[in-house]
Amino acid sequence: MHPDTTASLPNPAMSQAELLYQAQQRKDRQFRVSVALSWIFLLLFMFFLFSGQSFSLGPFTFSTIKIDRLFIADNLLFIAGGLGETIRISLVSITFATLLALLAALGRLSPVPPIYALSTFYVSLIRGTPLYLQIFFFFLALPQLGIILPGFWAGVIALSLNYGAYMSEIFRAGLSSVGKGQREAAMALGMTPGQTMMRIVLPQALRFAIPPTGNEFIAMTKDSALVAATGFVHELMWRATKVGRAQFHNLEALIMAAIFYWIMTLILTALQSRIETRLAKGDR
Amino acid sequence: MAPIVQVTKLDKYFGRLHVLKEVSIDVAPREVVCLIGRSGSGKSTLLRCINFLEEPSFGIIEVDGLKVDASQKGKERRQLVHDVRLKTGMVFQEFNLFPHMSVLENVIEGPVTVKGMDRAKAVQLAEENLDSVGLLFKKDEYPNRLSGGQKQRVAIARALTMEPRVMLFDEPTSALDPELIGEVLNVMKKVAKDGMTMLVVTHEMGFAREVADRVLVMADGEIIEDSKPEDLFGKPKDPRTKALIDRYRTGSN
Repeated sequence: MHPDTTASLPNPAMSQAELLYQAQQRKDRQFRVSVALSWIFLLLFMFFLFSGQSFSLGPFTFSTIKIDRLFIADNLLFIAGGLGETIRISLVSITFATLLALLAALGRLSPVPPIYALSTFYVSLIRGTPLYLQIFFFFLALPQLGIILPGFWAGVIALSLNYGAYMSEIFRAGLSSVGKGQREAAMALGMTPGQTMMRIVLPQALRFAIPPTGNEFIAMTKDSALVAATGFVHELMWRATKVGRAQFHNLEALIMAAIFYWIMTLILTALQSRIETRLAKGDR
Repeated sequence: MAPIVQVTKLDKYFGRLHVLKEVSIDVAPREVVCLIGRSGSGKSTLLRCINFLEEPSFGIIEVDGLKVDASQKGKERRQLVHDVRLKTGMVFQEFNLFPHMSVLENVIEGPVTVKGMDRAKAVQLAEENLDSVGLLFKKDEYPNRLSGGQKQRVAIARALTMEPRVMLFDEPTSALDPELIGEVLNVMKKVAKDGMTMLVVTHEMGFAREVADRVLVMADGEIIEDSKPEDLFGKPKDPRTKALIDRYRTGSN
């Protein structure tokens, strides 16, 4: 035995696999830390960019963008007051959109021609036209026919119809992710088609559809900003443009709204990934 | 004894393909009948026609006094098919356990949802059957935590808990690793010994030889041989049967 050579190793009991594993772990940790530091740098740089300071570098003078802090302080609460409405319209709309998407996806599986046709017609029509147009349609075009919807509900209908059409693909994928053998096993037990759907196929399909539905909800919180265009839903975007235009401080107002949307999205994304890991851990 | 399963002149087409050609079989109560043949010979399709997982094109299926003609349509037929399924338990090659339910929930699902059985009673029955396949201790596990052999034994318990008159096995060991086949075959032997009528599509010649009362050999959508196992394995009549048996013999060596 040569005590000198063994002493030079960090731990004589450590296997080669353990050493390789630890090296890999170190590398991964370094990467994560570097990314986090870069994020902080980028954030600080943005703060600096809007700090309104001037400085000289030799013969040149640079000045960063100046924003009106007083305006921000004065209007912070007013714009933040739109958060609730943004969340409310998104929650109501995602609920209806999910139901519509499920119906459309089931319709796509129907052997009855009119039902199949209705489902494909709906998806094609909605996906073939802009969301912005759909919002105006329910808010501005319907009154011509004597149908006057409150801004909130016009927005909910447009968002639900639109997202329902896109999300029907998620549910279709969910339903087809359930193997044929599952239906056969249920049928062999004597289950009716309805029981097979409710007890066997849907529970598995919905589990499959939960993560992508979360993504759609996050997307919807941002698309709900389009509803501001009707002028009657006082959510984030409407409030930001209102005070921004009135006092010609659109820059500050939009930056504030952007930050609110961003923070909301970050929180929802974190929630979403927690749900996803929980679902992945659960037995299936 | 009057047959408990009677298939009369059954024809099945897949598109233009004629996969079953006027097949007729009888199975007596408590009889164990193995269906063997090369893949594509129609043996699985025949089995799946008996509980209408496949729609027969022509012919008559009779199970325990319930007679369904392939030409029948409408509500009455739907009811008959439902009743036939209650009399037949099915075990699949791919197990098809419900992954979102625990083992116990899998087994009581049929009795509770389909038969409207009292939950406590269903649990009691399910636990008895899980015990007899040796898996009572796994009742709260989810299927993805079980080995293939355990999954198939749960699937057998699930089918038995419906208290069927006839059990249909569709290549129950073909998806299993070789070392797991034995435990499933042992459970099947036990079920046979308890007096269940069984129709088994299989490649396990040893099982057919040991357990079957009768072996049907299928080729090209027809039954080419219907013999007692000792006759079949001793002196096969049809050259195709001989080729089939020889192939397995060399395969197992």
